[in-house]
Amino acid sequence: MTEKWRLLDTGLNDAFSNMALDEAIVMARSRNLVPNTLRFFRWNPSAVSIGYFQGMEEEVDIKACDERGIDYVRRRTGGGAVYHDRDGELTYSLIVNKDHRLISDDFQKTYETLCSGLVLGLRRMEIPAEFKAINDIIVDGKKISGNAQTRGMDVVHQHGTILREVNPALMFTLLKVPNEKIRDKMIKAVGERVTSINGYLKRNTTFEELKDAFLRGFEEAFKIELVPGETIESEQQSSVRLQTEKYATKEWNFKR
Amino acid sequence: MGKAEYKVAGGKLIRIQLVKKEGRIEKLKITGDFFLHPEELIDDLEKALVDQTLSMPDLDEFIGAFIERRGGTLLGASSEDFAKCITMAAENE
Repeated sequence: MTEKWRLLDTGLNDAFSNMALDEAIVMARSRNLVPNTLRFFRWNPSAVSIGYFQGMEEEVDIKACDERGIDYVRRRTGGGAVYHDRDGELTYSLIVNKDHRLISDDFQKTYETLCSGLVLGLRRMEIPAEFKAINDIIVDGKKISGNAQTRGMDVVHQHGTILREVNPALMFTLLKVPNEKIRDKMIKAVGERVTSINGYLKRNTTFEELKDAFLRGFEEAFKIELVPGETIESEQQSSVRLQTEKYATKEWNFKR
Repeated sequence: MGKAEYKVAGGKLIRIQLVKKEGRIEKLKITGDFFLHPEELIDDLEKALVDQTLSMPDLDEFIGAFIERRGGTLLGASSEDFAKCITMAAENE
């Protein structure tokens, strides 16, 4: 019998509740209250997330974000600063028990295994994607997805971006650049280094189309069946608490 | 305060802010887009580095041993990269 995982589609939420729900799912998985889970989500308002080790003020132009009503949040995972556009990005999370056959003690190997679902999802859309160490997925040498992983409570948590559209000029308005003189150069460099699904396919894809391709990609790569489900009460309660006590606090977001 | 940035070849960026005193670290903050597991280890590493001598090979060894002892894993940067960036920041103070 095919192994069953839960599929969650939590739609549009703000940055703090998005990050809180990820951790709440990890907690519920750790207590064996829920199965392994693939979650799709989006960001409303658009937001910037920074890696666990990054300095908020070093990476993010707070004033530019505030002026545009853009949230900023620290992730529980390492890695770099990311601009999550409401209409330009589909985000996913995988929450998997550490003892699962897909999980290795080797972080790099586990990145490659978990990213294989995304690679197959992209290939289903006729995008010849490949995994690139450490944590990226590329097409024609350009990045189309960035991913970050952490472990704790005997659970592996990986989340990442699937770029539907990309806007480097807006990205560098919100992220700090070493100096103004090189802002244009950096925007141009991102245009050359990063691509998107719409950009590659030269057509306007829908989020439904993307979710369908990726869930099938994950099913095929992991040899699992994804069963649409809902969050349980314990996850909802932990999520509200984590949002208030952690992800929406200055103490967490500006701790480095 | 001394600051330095070091981009690891094929890897991640490390940023150090440091105050030194008589050739030793008095205070430092490590930021960047690297991965260290478990993440909370960074606070303990920063504390452990206080009073360490600002010598690149010694720092490399100290950081490597610290992470190993605590069962940690670095991804996208090495203890040597951290040591290099710390000594660069010390020179910039």
